[in-house]
Amino acid sequence: MKTAPTLSSAFLEAAAGKLPAPLQALRAQRGKALADMPLPTRKTENWKYSSRYLKLTDELAASLPSGRNSGPGLAVDGYHVVIHNGVLVPEASDFPDVDGIEIRSFVDLDDDTAQHLADRLDNTLDNNAVQMARLNTARFEDGLYIRLRQDAVLDRPLFVIFEADAEAAGSVYPRIYVDAGANSQMTLVEEYISTGDQTALVDAVTEFSLADGANVTNVRLSLEGENIHHIGATGARLLGHARLDSHCVGFGGPLRRHDLQVRLEAPGANCRLNGVAVTQDKQHFDNHTTIEHVAPHCDSEETYRNIAADESHAIFNGRIHIHKDAQKSNANMSNKNLLLSTGAEIDTKPELEIYADDVKCAHGATVGQLDETALFYLVSRGIDRREANTLLSMAFINELIEQIPVEAVRETVQARLNRFIEQAFEGA
Amino acid sequence: MLSIRNLHAAVDGKEILKGIDLEIKPGEVHAIMGPNGSGKSTLSAVLAGNEAYEVTEGDILLDGENLLEKETEERARDGIFLAFQYPVEIPGVSNLQFLRTAVNAMRVHRGLDELSAVDFMKLAKETTKQVDLDPAFLKRGVNEGFSGGEKKRNEILQALLLEPRLAILDETDSGLDIDALKVVADGVNALRSPERAILMVTHYQRLLNHIVPDFVHVLAGGRIVKSGGRELALELEERGYGWLGIKDSDEVEAG
Repeated sequence: MKTAPTLSSAFLEAAAGKLPAPLQALRAQRGKALADMPLPTRKTENWKYSSRYLKLTDELAASLPSGRNSGPGLAVDGYHVVIHNGVLVPEASDFPDVDGIEIRSFVDLDDDTAQHLADRLDNTLDNNAVQMARLNTARFEDGLYIRLRQDAVLDRPLFVIFEADAEAAGSVYPRIYVDAGANSQMTLVEEYISTGDQTALVDAVTEFSLADGANVTNVRLSLEGENIHHIGATGARLLGHARLDSHCVGFGGPLRRHDLQVRLEAPGANCRLNGVAVTQDKQHFDNHTTIEHVAPHCDSEETYRNIAADESHAIFNGRIHIHKDAQKSNANMSNKNLLLSTGAEIDTKPELEIYADDVKCAHGATVGQLDETALFYLVSRGIDRREANTLLSMAFINELIEQIPVEAVRETVQARLNRFIEQAFEGA
Repeated sequence: MLSIRNLHAAVDGKEILKGIDLEIKPGEVHAIMGPNGSGKSTLSAVLAGNEAYEVTEGDILLDGENLLEKETEERARDGIFLAFQYPVEIPGVSNLQFLRTAVNAMRVHRGLDELSAVDFMKLAKETTKQVDLDPAFLKRGVNEGFSGGEKKRNEILQALLLEPRLAILDETDSGLDIDALKVVADGVNALRSPERAILMVTHYQRLLNHIVPDFVHVLAGGRIVKSGGRELALELEERGYGWLGIKDSDEVEAG
């Protein structure tokens, strides 16, 4: 019998850098546990369609040198934090000075706070389902700890720009933990970008812990280049009447994986999860989401759309788990897919596990092509065929993009999607 | 301007048009009438370049050029406009964006500069008044949730903005109440000009009370069986299609 491959030791021998002791201890502990962890293969259910894109070569094990920053991300109104190869760049960052809000680099934490954080890291994620997030905890060299006290409100969005600078081959491990106190509010925009042209792995984890009535908007933009393999996980746990509004927009790459796990743990907690992924050429994008309805009277609304062109491959796996006591749960999940070529592949799988009897749970998944009637209508007005195709493809995802509550992000994303889709129709 | 010669066309292998001849000159308004299933909508679709229809024989010339060799979008830029019987709803594409893209495609083709968003907005708002459409409709998805009458007015709005050489109106009167019919007819009459021709395809003569045609043709069984002036339409109204030896499933309504 063939044994499943495990992570090469090269991945587990990185120095902990300047992290405070409690975080170093956590890291070492995770590293040990990882040594025997089997890597996902095509027989691993949640990596069935994506294991073939996962290539954890020793070359990628090296940490990428950090501390420089080559340019800003979205130049928009808000607070900016730049994380270069997993490490905060203070001189490029503009921290908010708002009562009740602390935003700190992991390496700057005192031992007590670091211990407090170490006790919480990973507690929003089901680590059995998010194998690769564990690697982040074993490897992060820095991170961003965001703490909102009760009733604190961040007045402008916080943009965190994660730049993977791949001048050499290697890997980076961006990390954020958001601890949102009761009735606090913030908008966090995560922007993953890259420079350099060597092969690199980005293994990113963001976690949210929302106390009663906290309201967090999270926009996650996956904009890295063709040389970047990206594995990301976002975890959130919500207490009573807390709300998470999540918008994930991703462009394909050689490996793009995002796991989003939301736990609704007390009555009234609710979430909206929107996602858009576009792929072309031989690109890949895999979104795996899980919504745990743990408590009664919680609502979840999930809408994901994919557009796959050429010979690309998009995957959506949406799991809704309604626990035994979660009566009066209200869960809606929809995944629609647009195939722009016969060579493209879409795999979509809703997974519903319902153990309560008084719930409303609806789901739907479709895979389709552009509507010929609509296309004829547009070209009959003199509109160029490629432009008409682009308009119709954008129409397919616009509804979701328009819900992104930060105007500048919406516009940038729209323009980028438009360019990407135009490209997909080039020469078609 | 437009010459249709011995046009035969089929859909799914079934021949619908069986030899149409028609000459349209600039400034003329032609009406094509006929019972259901006579091939009226097929003729409109073939002129616009709908690929679901296959031309099996004959020619269509626009200003001497072979129209059949051109793609739908090229025909549109050359001045063919089809007002759809059933305008398509396209959620996610705003009417404004759609109209501006189309108008600018035309302008580029005609060697004019593209209109800026601001200039186009002005023009579009102005034109909505002409068809009595609330400018708020510009912000909505293309035809999304529009009533039947609003959709038809949106078609005429497009014709006014795109300034075609030949406007083909496919059953533009269907589903309209008398007020909406009048608004649409006013729009069409505003389109009339010495350089522009209009081809109206209709089952009923009531539209022709508002848009007076120069020529009326009766289409039956895929052929034009009779042509005449405006009085032919009135005669059809009075006598139905029966006296021409045509069976009409909608005879009662048509009469």
